[in-house]
Amino acid sequence: MSTTNVGDSLGVVLTINGKRHMLEVEPRRSLSDVIREDVGLTGTHLGCEHGVCGACTVLVDGQPARSCLMLAVQADETEITTIEGLADGDELHPIQQAMHESHGFQCGFCTPGFLMSTVALLSENPQPNRSEIRAELSGNLCRCTGYQSIVDGVETAVSLLNEAQGNQP
Amino acid sequence: MTLGNSQIKPDAHGKVTGAALYAGDLTAERLGTQGMLHAKVVFTNQVHARVTLLDVSAAEAVEGVLFVLTADDVPVNEYGLTKFDQPVLIGPTSSGRSIVPHDVSRWEADHLAVVVAESAEAATLGAQQIVSDWEQLDIVADIDAALAPGAPLVHPEDEVASNAYAHLVIRKGDVDAAFAAADVIVEGTYELPYQEHAFLQTEAGVAYTDGEGRVTVETAGQWTHEDQEQIAHALGVNADEVRVIYRAIGGAFGGKEDMSVQIVLALAAKRLAELDDHRPVRMEWSREESIVGHHKRHRGRITTRWAATADGHILGVESNNYLDAGAYNYTSNKVLGNLHLTVSGPYEIENARVDSWAVYTNAVPGGAFRGFGGPQGTFAAEMQMNKLAAATGIDPVEIRRRNLLREGSIGITSTEMPAGVSLPQVVDACAEAAEWTHPKPPPVPIASFASLPSTTDRVRRGRGFACTYKNVGFSFGFPERSEARLVLHGDNDQPTSAEVFLAGADVGQGAHTAFVQMAAEATGLAFEDITATFSDTATSGDSGSASASRLSFMTGNAILGAAEEAEKAWREGARPAVGEFRYVPPPTEPLDPEGAPTTPNFAYGYVAEAVDLSVDLDTGHVVVHDVVCAIDVGRIINRALVVGQVEGAVIQAHGYALSENLQVEEGRVLNPRLSGYLIPGIGDIPEQVRTILLEIPDPVGPFGVRGMAEMPLMPYAPAVAAALFDATGVWFDEFPFTPGRLAAGLG
Repeated sequence: MSTTNVGDSLGVVLTINGKRHMLEVEPRRSLSDVIREDVGLTGTHLGCEHGVCGACTVLVDGQPARSCLMLAVQADETEITTIEGLADGDELHPIQQAMHESHGFQCGFCTPGFLMSTVALLSENPQPNRSEIRAELSGNLCRCTGYQSIVDGVETAVSLLNEAQGNQP
Repeated sequence: MTLGNSQIKPDAHGKVTGAALYAGDLTAERLGTQGMLHAKVVFTNQVHARVTLLDVSAAEAVEGVLFVLTADDVPVNEYGLTKFDQPVLIGPTSSGRSIVPHDVSRWEADHLAVVVAESAEAATLGAQQIVSDWEQLDIVADIDAALAPGAPLVHPEDEVASNAYAHLVIRKGDVDAAFAAADVIVEGTYELPYQEHAFLQTEAGVAYTDGEGRVTVETAGQWTHEDQEQIAHALGVNADEVRVIYRAIGGAFGGKEDMSVQIVLALAAKRLAELDDHRPVRMEWSREESIVGHHKRHRGRITTRWAATADGHILGVESNNYLDAGAYNYTSNKVLGNLHLTVSGPYEIENARVDSWAVYTNAVPGGAFRGFGGPQGTFAAEMQMNKLAAATGIDPVEIRRRNLLREGSIGITSTEMPAGVSLPQVVDACAEAAEWTHPKPPPVPIASFASLPSTTDRVRRGRGFACTYKNVGFSFGFPERSEARLVLHGDNDQPTSAEVFLAGADVGQGAHTAFVQMAAEATGLAFEDITATFSDTATSGDSGSASASRLSFMTGNAILGAAEEAEKAWREGARPAVGEFRYVPPPTEPLDPEGAPTTPNFAYGYVAEAVDLSVDLDTGHVVVHDVVCAIDVGRIINRALVVGQVEGAVIQAHGYALSENLQVEEGRVLNPRLSGYLIPGIGDIPEQVRTILLEIPDPVGPFGVRGMAEMPLMPYAPAVAAALFDATGVWFDEFPFTPGRLAAGLG
């Protein structure tokens, strides 16, 4: 029977934004710290480190997750998408484009988390109404905007996505 | 024409792609260095105690720890934005000079030591090995304790016999005669809560010595040049030996105006340079460190009486006001000035006796936070005005019209108001948009909790109104200034591009976008033809702070001046043509100690708000249906950014009024996490916030611009209180209006 000592590193494989990373991490380390420090993707922000603010939201196998509450070893062999993985080269994802145009942020620190939550929302419900948008984004905090411009941005994103998919004439 | 549209922010792309770099994102690779060191600042964790022993030898023996800095390592062991009343590090001995005794911790988050290590883990392990002994001193817990006879003094070195200080007075007319002649007297004692800034990005920074030998701190703040001054003072060097650079700033709201990581990081970088170690050193605070470790909007108490005629004309105001300054002054003496001017409301008042004090305690310091004393003063003033409306039976908007400051009015400090008093238009615009004269809508069914059915049986609906004013800039005699440098390029007759160099901080509000728009307007060039360099003391003159609703106003005027200078040089043949300008606004005066007439401000902004809400009588649960905020912004530079400031301020005010409840007892912050300190989420906010922008030019604002970013926060809490009264017939003189407080009051 094998045992693991606290402090021993474990091997994990994380596929982040399509790229495989084979990493040695201590079991106590959060996914967010590994994304930021070991992989160097600092677009995933830490606002509270206890799962309240949502700034660190990433997609793990397509599902939104608070990377500050998840251990990196729990994410072994998963596909992770961070804010850096949304754009296709220089071409912004429609949700990024919408937030860009709608002034859906001020300081921008919460923005990556909101965008990742929005991706998850629109993959489940491509045509949300305003109250559904509010409900789905209620796990992300913003201290600057008062949220109305963020909801506007999501509505713009819905329109852009519909146009892109030819749902509207 | 670039003004008035919703120009997309140049920083937008980085913020939606994750490429924007905040101070905590600076890695060795990004700084072009080999390696990165980690610093941890150790709080004393002592509310009021004298340190008798400090031993860091075990900490320095921890593997990976390079050194530990203590009070012995601070050349000038004192700092502060308006007074050098706080030691940089507390210690039993100190090699540095300081006015304030260095061996007493007056606050649980006073700094004891800085551990510099190869890793964050080693720094934390080192911090745990620091040994200290303390002689406990009596704790001055709050305003009552501070004012009690025989209370221990928090700052005995000031040689003042009381913890109350910075006394301000207004003495105007004959207050006793006014009260004797009154038909109606309304009064109240208003208990004002703390508010925590809760910017999403906690304090962070990186420090190193740059290629020109300057101790350089890259961080997030509100005033590069003031950071530079305070760092230089503590290091005992000239300001030009220190450089401060701001990267992307994750919110501030006044909470990054005072020092946090700046001085301790600079000390670490200086020591590293002495050791010939050229690695940068970083520090980042946890959310708990942030909430415990930086100042708050002041808690306080205002006791006030107003006298009026039966037809609603105010005859006199008497008010005694206290703010809990906490352990150090920060900007309390200045915050107090704004409370002092707003506590009698934006009204013509011929007789007034107002006394205000800041009070030292061993609690977390009070300091700058959007509104800067104005929200506290406005809460009391507008509670009084709404009580007066109720007592006289006059409509709340109509009774305001009978008393409002208007063009040519004599203000509360007995001098004429600065030109451009647009409050009557603002109040009318708000009342109209809110359909104030229409009948109140019926209650809508609400469910206080998801498991309860929606019902109207125990739901009451109410509307409330409030208005206020706030100064632009620090004023009160402060030597305001803002500098700009603008360079015109081109080979032929007309400039084809320009560069601007400005220090002003973009804390998220979009100041840099507005600056470039104003530079484009001033030069006649397109937005895209302006190249800007921001927020680096090595490249820009002092712009002053991103605070006090001043930055667009001051820097806009500086840009206009620099553009004029550059165009003059251009006409004289210079290629490129350089313009430099230092804008100095009209002079102001400090308040007179005896209350004689003074002109403390040169410009004000004006705002009014109407709130429509429902409240559940049994649970105290509140749903805000509609908020109208009418504000005179003078001239819109960027519509989306201006609306963003209004909406953001209203939602911060919504938290201040309803949910944010910082608990501080015996000098300890009891809820230093976002799980226990509840800022509004998207599910908590009003169903809609409507922004009504007026553009009545300020005579001295650039392009007519007025300051506007703080004002919408100020009237919201009293407007909510008035709506609760309208709904229930109960006045709540203490907030936040949490469900528990409301249910108890309505039961």
